[in-house]
Amino acid sequence: MREFRKEELALYNGKNGAPAYAAYKGKVYDVSGSFLWKNGDHQVLHNAGVDLTDVMEQAPHGGDVLDKFPVVGTLLCADRKES
Amino acid sequence: MMARVAREMVEKSGINVDQLVELLVKNAAAELTTYYYYTILRCNLIGLEGEGIKEIAEAARVEDRNHFEALVPRIYELGGKLPDDMKAFHDASACPPARLPKDLTDTQAMLKVLVEAERCAVRGYTHICNLTTGKDHRTYDLSQSILNEEIEHESWFSEFLGEGPSGHFMRKGENSPFVSKFLR
Repeated sequence: MREFRKEELALYNGKNGAPAYAAYKGKVYDVSGSFLWKNGDHQVLHNAGVDLTDVMEQAPHGGDVLDKFPVVGTLLCADRKES
Repeated sequence: MMARVAREMVEKSGINVDQLVELLVKNAAAELTTYYYYTILRCNLIGLEGEGIKEIAEAARVEDRNHFEALVPRIYELGGKLPDDMKAFHDASACPPARLPKDLTDTQAMLKVLVEAERCAVRGYTHICNLTTGKDHRTYDLSQSILNEEIEHESWFSEFLGEGPSGHFMRKGENSPFVSKFLR
C-alpha cells in the first residue's frame, strides 16, 4: 500500500481534476466519489489533501463515516496527527 | 446592506460570516432538494406498508420546505444570497440527494433513504448550533428550532425501521411547531 508524506497528500486536494484524498488515523481515504466532498471541499470548513484526525473530534459524526470509502494508502508516521 | 449592524454583531463575535452564510446556503439547498426528493418518495409510498409511512413522510416533506423558507431571510440578512442557477444550488447541498431506491416495493429501503436524509440534517444543524451558540443568537435560534424538528423526523423513521421506540407521536395540529415563529 502506498505511503504518503504530508506534502504528497496535499496534492490530492480535489481541485483542478485531482482526486480528493483525506487522512484519518493513519489511513488515507479516497473521498472523490462523495457528494459531500465535491471539489475537495466538505461543509465549507474542511478541505481534502490533509489529515483530518484532529478536526474529526469536533465533527458532528464519527470517523466511521469514512469506512465506505476506499483506502488508498497510509500516512507516514512522522506526518500523522494522532488523536 | 439592509441588516448591516446585524452582520457586524456576528462578525464581532468572532464568527467568519462568509463561511456561515455558505453553510446556511448549503443547508437551505439540502432542505429544498429534500422537499423535492421527498415528494417523489411520498408518491411511491404505496400499498399496505407504504401507506403507514406516507403521513410522516408528508409531514417531514412540508417541514423541510418550511426550513428552506425560514433559512432564506437569514441568508440575506447576513449579506448572502441564493445562487442564480438552481442546478448549482442543488449541487451545493449539504446533504446527498434522497433518491428513490431501485426497488420501489422495498419499504425498508425507502425508510433508510428517509432516515439518512434526516441524520444528515441533524448533523448539519448541530454543527451550525455549535458554531453560533453564544455568538450569533438569531442564527442559533433558527438552527436550534430546525434541529428540533429534524430530530423528530429522524425518530419517526427510525422507529419504523425497527430501531426502537422513538418516544414521539405524529404531529398533532399544525406542522413546524418549532420553526413556525420564523414563518410569520
